[in-house]
Amino acid sequence: MQEDDQDAADAALVLAGDLNAFEGIVRRWQQRLVTLAWRFCRDRTLAEDMAQEAFFKAFRSLSAYRGEAAFSTWLTAIALNSYRSRLRAEGPSLLSLDPARTFSMEGDALGSLIRSEGAEAVRKAVLTLPTRYREAIVVFYFQEKSVAETATVLGIAEGTLKARLHRGRELLRHKCINLKSYRAMGNKEEQ
Amino acid sequence: MTPEDIDRILSSDDMLEPASGFASDVMDRVRCLADEPPPRRFPWLRFGFGLISCLIVAASGTVLAPRLEHSVIGLCPSLTSLSGIEPEVGYAVAALIVSFGFISYRKLRVTT
Repeated sequence: MQEDDQDAADAALVLAGDLNAFEGIVRRWQQRLVTLAWRFCRDRTLAEDMAQEAFFKAFRSLSAYRGEAAFSTWLTAIALNSYRSRLRAEGPSLLSLDPARTFSMEGDALGSLIRSEGAEAVRKAVLTLPTRYREAIVVFYFQEKSVAETATVLGIAEGTLKARLHRGRELLRHKCINLKSYRAMGNKEEQ
Repeated sequence: MTPEDIDRILSSDDMLEPASGFASDVMDRVRCLADEPPPRRFPWLRFGFGLISCLIVAASGTVLAPRLEHSVIGLCPSLTSLSGIEPEVGYAVAALIVSFGFISYRKLRVTT
């Protein structure tokens, strides 16, 4: 049985009153929803909390699932909406590669940023993008680069998604050039 | 750093393994959620009745009060000193009676 079919069958069981069937959905999806949340915040505790909240929202909205879209798309869209509200409530990310904000970081944040691996710094740089580009990039790579599924989850046209991805990558590249100069500066200071 | 480098880095981001008790924690809270009674819906019907009643009382008061003012004062000379406020007192009493009427009607329907 395909995973989406299994999820839809479990959803039907839950609606019929078998609450334990929801555990199957949670077990199949826990890693993916926690990972998606993690990619939006890079904070493990917050990511698990956000994923829990997404599961509750999915449970409450299960009766609204009509099977028009794949279960995976429906659940990811619910999770994304839930994460969006939570991140809005949490306030803007403290992490930024913009010089003005980077230098206002507390403690050794700049130092750790400089010392951190380049790849991880690029992933963190995604968090500093404006919301529309950040969501497009995070969901696109989470959905294994499927433009159609990402556009459905975000509720936008494929053309709009492609434009946002292009612009988002450009902004990211620009931020990474700044990062490179900070790292060079950090290395000089260490010598 | 080229766009290809960025694409490669973002494609190779790891999956995060949730804590071991994550699924059971979620299920515990889901069971609690399922036990809770469904949230009460806003009583639109009762609100509608109330609003219509208020509008009727206000409209009838606006039309009738000027006509009845002199006759009521004529009937009860002792109320002459209250001539400035008696329409408002009348509306308040009428609204109170109508409200109690609605409440009693709902209670009667629930108990029967």
